[in-house]
Amino acid sequence: MSLAGPRPGRAALDADRLLLAGLAGGATLLLVVFVVLPLWGILGYSLVTPDGLGLGNYARYFGDPRFVGIIGNTFTVALSVTAATILLAYGFAYALQRTTMRLKPLLRLVALLPIFSPSLVQALGLQFLLGRNGLINRSFGTEIDVYGFWGIFLADLLYAFPHAFLILSTALAVGAQRLYESAETLGASSWRSFRTVTLPATRYGIASAVFVVFTIVITDFGNPVVIGGNYGVLAVEIYNQVSGQANFSMGAVIGVLLLLPAALAVLAERWIARHQHASVSAQSVPLKPRPNRRRDALWLAYCLLVAAALLAVVAIVVYASFVRLWPYNLSLSLRHYAFDVQNGIAPLWTSVEVALVTAAIAVVVVTLAAYANHQLSGGLKRPLYFLAILPAAVPGMVLGLGYILAFNDPANPVYAIYDTILIIAACNIYHYHAQGFLLATTNMKQISRTFEEASATLGASRLTTLLRVTLPMIWPTVLGVGVFFFMRAMVTLSAVIFLITPSTQLAAVSVLYLDDRGALNQAAAFAVCIMATVIGVLLLTQGALRLAGIRGVSLIR
Amino acid sequence: MFLELRSVTKRFGGVAAVDHVDLDIEAGEFICFLGPSGCGKTTLLRLIAGLESLDEGAILLRGSDLGQLPARKRNFGVVFQSYSLFPGMTVARNVAYGLACRKWPRREIEARVDEMLDLVHLRDQAGKYPHELSGGMQQRVALARALAPEPAVLLLDEPLSALDAKVRETLRSEIRDLQKRLGITTIMVTHDQDEAMEMADRILVMNRGRIEQVGVAQDLYRRPATRFVGEFIGRLNVLERERWGDLLPPAGDLSEALLAIRPEHVRLLAADEAPAGPVVEGRVRKVAFLGNMTRLLVEADAGLVEIEVHGPLQQGEVGETLRFVLPGEHLSAVSAGPR
Repeated sequence: MSLAGPRPGRAALDADRLLLAGLAGGATLLLVVFVVLPLWGILGYSLVTPDGLGLGNYARYFGDPRFVGIIGNTFTVALSVTAATILLAYGFAYALQRTTMRLKPLLRLVALLPIFSPSLVQALGLQFLLGRNGLINRSFGTEIDVYGFWGIFLADLLYAFPHAFLILSTALAVGAQRLYESAETLGASSWRSFRTVTLPATRYGIASAVFVVFTIVITDFGNPVVIGGNYGVLAVEIYNQVSGQANFSMGAVIGVLLLLPAALAVLAERWIARHQHASVSAQSVPLKPRPNRRRDALWLAYCLLVAAALLAVVAIVVYASFVRLWPYNLSLSLRHYAFDVQNGIAPLWTSVEVALVTAAIAVVVVTLAAYANHQLSGGLKRPLYFLAILPAAVPGMVLGLGYILAFNDPANPVYAIYDTILIIAACNIYHYHAQGFLLATTNMKQISRTFEEASATLGASRLTTLLRVTLPMIWPTVLGVGVFFFMRAMVTLSAVIFLITPSTQLAAVSVLYLDDRGALNQAAAFAVCIMATVIGVLLLTQGALRLAGIRGVSLIR
Repeated sequence: MFLELRSVTKRFGGVAAVDHVDLDIEAGEFICFLGPSGCGKTTLLRLIAGLESLDEGAILLRGSDLGQLPARKRNFGVVFQSYSLFPGMTVARNVAYGLACRKWPRREIEARVDEMLDLVHLRDQAGKYPHELSGGMQQRVALARALAPEPAVLLLDEPLSALDAKVRETLRSEIRDLQKRLGITTIMVTHDQDEAMEMADRILVMNRGRIEQVGVAQDLYRRPATRFVGEFIGRLNVLERERWGDLLPPAGDLSEALLAIRPEHVRLLAADEAPAGPVVEGRVRKVAFLGNMTRLLVEADAGLVEIEVHGPLQQGEVGETLRFVLPGEHLSAVSAGPR
């Protein structure tokens, strides 16, 4: 007796397995090379002392009161910014999701502004506003000194705000109308119903936002380096040790110290995300806030205040880029856009090139890693998943330093791309690998498995299913992943600061150098160019999506 | 035998979702897997389709073991509850998908697609996208898509559950007619006993991963092998011999501990009627008027009995005392669980 269909072809059967094994193996190999090896390099280097391997560097570090002070500073800033950001962003998100006030779309846009700019733009803006020659001090004759704790506090608060806002906004977006109506009919005051219904329903969102903001602040480099003054934090210290004094072992020690809290925060965040249970089911009646004049007016006032702060910092940078010489000659001029400094405008084009290469490679690498992980079953699934989201716990500075330590060695095969934009692209891809991977994975999970099963029962190979069924369904997300990587690559500073060479200068780094040299106007102009590029690409993509009739794809993460 | 299941077993985390199932299916047969949700019927279907791998046992098609043959090599057509038409493809391209995977020449694909769409009366919808069609139409396209590559077996996983009641009714007979016409061996999973009884040649009732009973609808209804089958298909009074004792006809061959009788087989007695056998007396607890019949819940000393009376009812107020008999010819022994 023979089968009705074709005989079980060994070759074809193996092709399916081979494809999956190849993708999973390839993704794993890349993650090991570009994430694990650099981290291993850092750990190794931190243990290298003149007398051989040992904890000598750590002992020296903790024996030095200045270093211990820096650790204290880092945590003080991270904790206080986290608390303030969550509080402010919760109110902002609450107002946008739970009231009927006006101007919501505009306020939402303003809240997201900081995402489109390098992290040092907030510090730059604060310099123009509150610096020694800032708007406030000059207008009112005050002598506010913003450099130091308060500068970092304000800059990082503004910088982390949109990230907290996005998470809290999602948490507050869903709510069961009936739950609130039950609370109300049971006689609960609005404060009580907030405490008993709203707050518990959003506690996972809050916790998640806490850890995300904490990680952002503790690992941020751009703002503290510009506005930190003498208030040292770990991210700046690692830069000083490595770039200033070429002290790689000390840099590695700080890298490990920076890695620990960030890793813990990310682990906690992932744990929370996994244990999150939806209190809103598919049958729930979605929440519809009812108008309330007084409440809405108060919330609007609050939101406008917050938005004004967010906007002011960016607006002053834009303004300063157009004035002749801040703050002495405020007549308008385009001279700073001539970029007759250093490398001129070249770094911007290098940045765009890097961002395009990053996005193009990331789309393929990240999507395939997510696909392989989605298809895998059994023992290999978890290790690959862990590797894929591991980079979320790795601060950019640490990863960048790891790249030097691991790859700046002619014996290493990766050395071939050292000193090219490819190494920068690789660093960007793996710095933001976790976010891109989770985006793609979430989308793949949302697509019913039966589409792939239907394809399989109709006789399609895994590759055919991937190309003809899966990809056509997830391409908007794939595009979103590309835009995400483009944006990140345009604005990132921390990861790439160690990797740039004279031939690969980047725009975000140029802003830092110009600011460092006191060329604030040019720095502002450069920052504006970055923001314009990012926003332009975002608008273009959004427009293209709309033309293609695709809706509901959110490109901002 | 066309399709044989031999001790088919699947475990999820130590729990057997399908537990040593044996079944023979003849060519051209329409068989339904019936049972409550979570009974393992869908898992059993997915095992046959090759979408899950066996932990134990074997599945044989025309005598040869399918082993670990992946779904795409089995040439079984599958229709899912959720339609699962590829959203980016037109109706015609959906139907052509399996043929393209088999590298059919283009001309033949076109002819086959037309033929299949004729079969489900959707020829004029060929250029539309799935989201432009109603649920019933989408499911017919899914059927055409599954049938196009001339599958050896057609597997239907609750294909009608997502549809409106009216559409469901029409599709029932449409699928049944199609299956008869093509003579294709078909397995359908459903939790709807009416659907199973109307469509299937044979019904397999499953509970907790095991087969409770396999048979034609009439047998399952008239002679349920287990209490579960009797209660799942239709309504059933289960009487414990221990409590009912003399009120039941003498043991004879009905020596089991549990006896069962359908509500419509309990006979109410008129006031002056005096039958030969034992008469039970009971008080009416509930009355439900259901149009063509009335259902009474009567409490006798030995326990509760449901009685269904078709046509007009003389007696039957709540609290009233009634007399009825349990005719011996309608009593059957049931076991508490699977044999």
